[in-house]
Parts: sequence; structure tokens; C-alpha cells
Amino acid sequence: MKKIHAWSTLPIVLMLALLAIGPVSAAETGNDRCLSCHANKDIIKRGGELLYVDPAMYAVTSHSAIGCNTCHDSVRSTHPDDGLKSSRASCKDCHSTIQSEYAASIHGGKATCNDCHNPHEVKPLIAVSGSDINAKCAKCHNLGKIVKSHDKWLPQADLHIDALPCVTCHTSSQNYVITMSIQKRQSGNTQFGEFKPATHQELAAFNPVNGDVSRLIDKNGDRLISLKELRDFNYEVRKKDMRLWGMMMPEVATHSFQILENRWDCSFCHASGPKAMQKSYMAFPDNSGGYTRMEVESGAILDILYGTPDFYMMGSTRSTALNIVGALIIAGGLMMPIGHGTMRFLTRKNRKEH
Amino acid sequence: MKHTEYVYLTPMPVRIWHWLNAFGIVTLTITGINIRFPDVLNIFGTYKSAIVLHNTAGIVVSISYTLWLLYYMFVAGTLAKLYIPTMNDIKTGIIRQAFFYFFQYFKGGPNPHHGTPDNKFNPMQKAAYLVIMLVLLPLVIISGIILMYVAPLREIIMVIGGIKTLVSIHFLIACCFTAFLFVHIYLATLGHTPLAYFKPMWDGWEKVEHAHGDPHGDAHGSSHDKAPDNDHAVKSAASIGAA
Repeated sequence: MKKIHAWSTLPIVLMLALLAIGPVSAAETGNDRCLSCHANKDIIKRGGELLYVDPAMYAVTSHSAIGCNTCHDSVRSTHPDDGLKSSRASCKDCHSTIQSEYAASIHGGKATCNDCHNPHEVKPLIAVSGSDINAKCAKCHNLGKIVKSHDKWLPQADLHIDALPCVTCHTSSQNYVITMSIQKRQSGNTQFGEFKPATHQELAAFNPVNGDVSRLIDKNGDRLISLKELRDFNYEVRKKDMRLWGMMMPEVATHSFQILENRWDCSFCHASGPKAMQKSYMAFPDNSGGYTRMEVESGAILDILYGTPDFYMMGSTRSTALNIVGALIIAGGLMMPIGHGTMRFLTRKNRKEH
Repeated sequence: MKHTEYVYLTPMPVRIWHWLNAFGIVTLTITGINIRFPDVLNIFGTYKSAIVLHNTAGIVVSISYTLWLLYYMFVAGTLAKLYIPTMNDIKTGIIRQAFFYFFQYFKGGPNPHHGTPDNKFNPMQKAAYLVIMLVLLPLVIISGIILMYVAPLREIIMVIGGIKTLVSIHFLIACCFTAFLFVHIYLATLGHTPLAYFKPMWDGWEKVEHAHGDPHGDAHGSSHDKAPDNDHAVKSAASIGAA
């Protein structure tokens, strides 16, 4: 039997101890003291952008819960007068599994964790929009070049890249969800198209109930968006130069960046069938730059006209109602050979007599 | 006594146009079914092959349609005359023709329409081809082209009411074409023999039987003995190619 070292149980003991104490507030961890200087933009002039921490964005990160001192443990009460540079924890100190997965991927040697994730703003996958993810990728990967390289094999590459975060195909999550967000027309911006995700401030300007932007769609406040609420919103939203935009998001985030063989096959996504397209979410921007996800009534993605008018995945989001209408039209055409043909056969003698 | 004559009824360009269209539309229908129901049907190996083939056939049919339209509008100048029903057609012609197809034909009665080169379609054909050639085909072509370039044409799609509206229009018109295909092929079997109308559309030559001593009379008079709508049928064969 494998021997368990006492030191290997230390993280578990520490975690249990933290749980026993209860949730750690920012004030208790001493974050406020740090933020009194680092949340002030004047610090950028003194030491560069890296020193600035957006307090609203930081407050919702898991890192704020463990406190500034956990990663910057060399900082003493004499900081910054002591002139010592503060220490920085390495990401792998806590995220060693992700680090190993990432290091083994084709992206491992190309960028560090910090190139994509700002530890003071980092959010879980469900709080990030597909456009935000692609904006990170676009820091190194030129959008035009990406479209061009995908265009060699992928029909309508520009459309795919608009509707998919890169990680949907280039990491190994096996399940996906359709997440919709509200986009607003931005005049004068052509790099990512004319529509961009609406910010919390832009939506708050429409005076939603209790200042809660989700109430712009979820009118009854039951935290579930019904098809009727979706239709009503779509009807109103056109006049306000906004639209609902759907993206196919991975259900879990992995860091195994790779070129997956099965993604060359269009049927990986397009032949999943309408049953796989029942569930969808609406992501509302919050004032920390992240998103809060709300469930949408089952089947909204398949609604023909007003459910998600600008989201359609060939083969997968087809409407059953429309299929029935189409089948009736074809059946009408078949009535001629079947009905007329039968009568023709039965009355063949009449024509011979003439 | 009868003698048989062959008439060069369908010129080669018309036949090429017809079969190119026929092949294109059948390809579009089959690939279209594959594209809409990939989880149920996979005929072309990969989904992408079905899409590429669908797009290619769509472009071929679009070019072919444009040439047809330009020819009838500006070269022949007979588009309005051939395809727009007259007041008489609307008031009585369509009803009379429908009465023939669904009643008189079974009793062995004669076809009320006798085609001439200037009026080769019967009133029902005129109405059907007007809708098919000048409404449905342009709509399915335009919606198809927009669907091939969704990202660049997003603004147009938003004006239409969203990509789902566009896809629905494209799909329902495609169903109308599939329905028409069955009707079209069936009606083409109404000649004096079931394949009588297919042959001239393939090799151009129509077999015409004359009563002895009446080579210039009713060209299909003798055939009327067997098929009373034969005169209409010969003209219809020409019209099938022309439409």
C-alpha cells in the first residue's frame, strides 16, 4: 500500500480550516488595504499598467477570495516604502493539473498563462462571452489571417468564426451549449463586424426593473426566459439597433489546445440533430465585465421566427413544424401521380374507345 | 392507313438547357435533403461534400436561369406572351383546362387547348410556369445565394427578418419544386405512350403518325384515336423543354 506522507495532506487540512472559518471577505484578507492604492488609476503613471487592479472585476474573481497576500506573500506592512519588489506566485502552484495539460498542448510553448488570463480579472467559463474569448485569441492571431486559413477547407469560415469561440473546436470539450447574448450596433467599427456585445451600461440605459438588465428579457423575473419573453424582446429590439447573437460554447474549459481530427468533419456539429439543440442560455453582462447566465425555455433555438432569428445551424436547428409543412407540400405534388394516375388506370378503356 | 413521320421538335440548346436544369434540380433536391437531415441521411460521404455539391448545382442552375431569362426577355421577346395568362385564360381557360385534366380526360374527351408556337402553353401551364419561373425560381436562387454568403450579407438577412426566415423561405420553395417535379414527370407521361414526351426531349425528334393522304392536316389526328390530348401533348413536350 502506498504510504501517505503527512505533508501531502497539508492542502486538505488548510482547505478544511478555511471552510471552518467560513467565506473570506475581501476586507478580512486585507485586500482593501492593497486596493486603496492599486485600484487608483494614478498608480499606472507611477509603475505601469500591471500595477492597476480594477476593483469591480477583481471582486468577483476567485483570487480575491483567497486574498492579495496569498500570491504576493512577500509584501510587508512597509510596502511600498521598503523598495522591495513584491513576489508573485506561479499559476502552477495552485493550478498544476491545468499547467501540465496546457504545457503538453501545441499552445504550451507559445504563450504563458498571463498572456490570456489576467489573474485580477479572471472568470469562470460561464461568465465569459465567446466574443471575449476570441478577442483574447485575436491578440496574437490576426482575424483576417485566421479566416483566410480556415477558408481553405471550411465553408463560410467568416460565419463560423463569428459564431464560435476558437476553444470550441481547439480544445477537447465534448459537449456544447448555445449561449445567446445581446449585441448592439457599433458605428464605425468594422474589425469584428458592426455588432458588438452590449455592455452592462448600455443595457442599464434602458431602465430595466430594479436596474437588473436580465429583466429586459425576463419580464416576470422568474429567472427563466420563456419563448414568449424571447419573442417579445426580439420584436422590440430591432428598433433599438440590437440583436440576439448565439454562440456555440464548450460546456467545460480545457487547456488541451490542439487540432482535433473530428472537427474536420462538419457532421460533428451539424449532424447532432434537433434533440441536442433543446437547451440554451442567455448571457447578461454584469458591471464587472463578466456575464450571468440564465436558462432559456427548452426548444427556443428551434423556434422558426422569433426565438433566435439570427442563430441557425444547418442540419441541427431545423424546425419540425416547418418539416411537416414541407412534407405536406411534397405530398400535394405526389397526389397528381398517385390520384390522377389511379383514375387514369381505372378509366383507360374510355380513351381506347375514343 | 397510317404513315409515320419524325418532326425535329426540340432544338439542341433547349434540350441541353432542360437536362442541365433537370440534373441541377434533382442534385439540389437530394443534396438539400442530406443537408437538412444529416443525422438521418448521409449519401455523399461527408457533410461538406453535400454542401459543395449543393452550392455548385445552385450556381449552375442560377446561371442557366439567367441565360434563359435574358434570352426570353431580350432575344426572343416572348416572355410576356408565353408566360402571362390572358384575361380569358384567367376567367375561363384555367377552369376549362382543369376540368379537362380532372374530368374530361378520364372520359376520353378532347383537350381544349391546341398549342401553337406563339401560344404553346395551356392556361394551367401558363399559370404554373409563371409562378415557377418568375416567382419561385428567382426567390429560391436569391435566398440560396444569400445563404452562401451569410456573414458578408448579414445586413440584408436582418432586413428579411433573420437567417431563420431566409432558411424557411428557401426550404419551403425547395419543397414546392420537389412537388412540382412529381407533377411535371407525371404529366410528361400523358402522351400517346408513356415515354412519347420524354423521347423528343432527349433526341429532339417527335414521332408523328399521319392518316394516309393527310400529311398536312391535323398532324396528330391519328394519334387522337388513341390519345385525344395528343395535339396538346406534342405542344406540351415543346413547352416542357422551353420552360
